[in-house]
Amino acid sequence: MSKKYFLAIPFLIAAGVSLAETSPRDNPTTGTGKGGAVQSAAPGTTSLPDLPMFKFGGFGSLGVSHSSLDQGDYVLSNSMPKGVGRSSEWTESNNTRLAAHVTGNFAPKVSGLLQVDAEYQENGTYNPQVEFVNVKYAFIPNFYMRVGRLAIPTFIDSENHDIGYSFAWVNPPVDLYQLSIHSTDGVDATYRSEIGEAVNSIKAMYGNRSTAKDMWGLFDKLEYGQATFHASYQQRRSSTQNLLTGVTDAWIQNSDLSVGASYDPGDWFAMSEWIQRRSTFKINAMYISTGYRINKFTPYLTYGQIGPGSFLTGYPPPTAAAIERANRAQSTVSLGVRWDFRRNYDFKIQYDQVTLSDNSNGYLINVPPGVILYGSKFHVISAVVDFVF
Amino acid sequence: MFRNSLILPLLVAVATFVASAHAEVVVVVSSKSSVKSLTSEQTTKIFLGKVVTFPNGQTAFPIDQPEGSAIRDEFYSKVVHKNSSQLTAYWAKVIFTGDGRPPKLLADNVAVRKAIAGNPNAIGYIDKSAVNRSVRVVLKP
Repeated sequence: MSKKYFLAIPFLIAAGVSLAETSPRDNPTTGTGKGGAVQSAAPGTTSLPDLPMFKFGGFGSLGVSHSSLDQGDYVLSNSMPKGVGRSSEWTESNNTRLAAHVTGNFAPKVSGLLQVDAEYQENGTYNPQVEFVNVKYAFIPNFYMRVGRLAIPTFIDSENHDIGYSFAWVNPPVDLYQLSIHSTDGVDATYRSEIGEAVNSIKAMYGNRSTAKDMWGLFDKLEYGQATFHASYQQRRSSTQNLLTGVTDAWIQNSDLSVGASYDPGDWFAMSEWIQRRSTFKINAMYISTGYRINKFTPYLTYGQIGPGSFLTGYPPPTAAAIERANRAQSTVSLGVRWDFRRNYDFKIQYDQVTLSDNSNGYLINVPPGVILYGSKFHVISAVVDFVF
Repeated sequence: MFRNSLILPLLVAVATFVASAHAEVVVVVSSKSSVKSLTSEQTTKIFLGKVVTFPNGQTAFPIDQPEGSAIRDEFYSKVVHKNSSQLTAYWAKVIFTGDGRPPKLLADNVAVRKAIAGNPNAIGYIDKSAVNRSVRVVLKP
C-alpha cells in the first residue's frame, strides 16, 4: 500500500473531531435522513412509511451525430476507437448508452450501489461493464465512507456525465470533460457541513486503476443559494505509454487542478469550469456555458477550448511524437436546445463548430499519417433522446 | 332581494374559481415541533436533501406529494424554483451517484398532515385549506 493512502487519515481524524464537537447528537429515535436509511419512529410519534430495501432504476441516451469533416474522427472520449467523420458520416456511437442501476439500503448506516453501463468502449463493442459498485457506511448522515469502484468528481458534472437527462447539453463540453478520468477502485470519505447559509461537502479519495495508479485527490463543493462552487486537486501515476512524452518505460506523476462555478436560479443558468493538467507538459482547458428556460425548451450556448501543452523542465527532451501530442489544441462553439417533451424524457439537438489550432489536428483520432488539418474548421450536428426510469 | 340573489352565486363562483385555480401551498410542521418558521432557502435545502436537520439542529424528515399533483408542482416552482423536469434531473444525479434518495411520498394533503401531526421531525407542504390545529405553518411562500 502506498504512503499516500495515509495522507487521508489526518483529514478523517480532523473531520471526526469537528463532528464530535459541533454536531448535534444523532437522535436515535429518528436516525438518518440523507442516504435514505430506514428509520424507526420513537414511541408516541407516527412512523413514516419505510423506503424499500432495494431501488431499481436506470437511464439512457439514443442519439446520432454527423461531422462535416471526413479526414478524421470526432470523439467525445479518448477511449473510443472510432468516431464520427472519417469512419462514418453518421454514427450513434458518440451519443448512445443504456445503464441499469440498483441501490440497496442494507442497514440504517449501510447502503450500496451497482451500476452497469452498455456504451461504446475501447474494444469497439457495447458489452455491458460494471461502471460503479460500492458500499457506503454513514457514521452520521453528514459523514460517510465508501469502498469500491467510485466516480471521480473532477468536474461539476463528472459523476453524472453519462446521464444525459441530468444536464441541458447533448454532452458536457468536450474540450474539458474529455480530460476526466471516470472512475477508480478505492476508498473515499466525505464530510458535509453547514457554514452559515452555505453547505460544503469535502471528499478525500484514494484509488487505483490499470492506467492511473496511486490516484489520490481532494474534492470540494460549496453550495450557496443557487450558486455552486467546485474545486479539486488530484494526482496519480500514469504510464508513459499513455502519455507518449519521450520518457520511456516509466510511470510519470501527473496532476489535475480544477475549479468551477455554476449559477442556476431556475429560469436560466450559467456555468464555467477550468482545469490545468501537468505531466511532462502542462495544458489548460476551460468552457463557459449559459442557457435560458422557456417552458419546456432550454436553448443554450457554450464556448470551450483546450490549449496547447508547454513542456516542463526536469525531463529528457521530448520526442517528435510527444511534441505533436502536446501541441494538440482546439476550440468549440456549441449551440443547442433541450426539449422536455414528456415526463422523464428529453430531446436535444446541438450544433458544434470546432476549430483546430494552427499547428495541430486537435483531438481528432484516426487521421491518416501525413494528413495536415491545421487550422481547419468543421461542424458536428448531434440529436439525442435521453430518458430516466 | 334581486340584488342578493345575483351576488351570492357570483361570490360562490368566484370563490370556487380562486380556490381551484390558486391552490395555496404552505409549508407545515407538527404543532409539537419547536420549529416556528423557515425561509425558502432553508426549506429548499431540506427537500433537496442538502441538509438533514432543521436550523435548530433537530432532524428533519421531508414528506413529498405525488408526482404530477398540482400542489407538488406549486411547491417546487414557488419555493425550490424547479419545474418537474428540473427536479427529475436533480434527483437522477443524486440517486445514480449514490448521494441520497428523494423524500418519502404520501398520497395527499390529509395523509401528509396526519403524518406530520404525529411526528415532530416531519415537514411537508399542503394546501392552506387543509391546515388545522395539529400542524403549524412555518412558511407561506
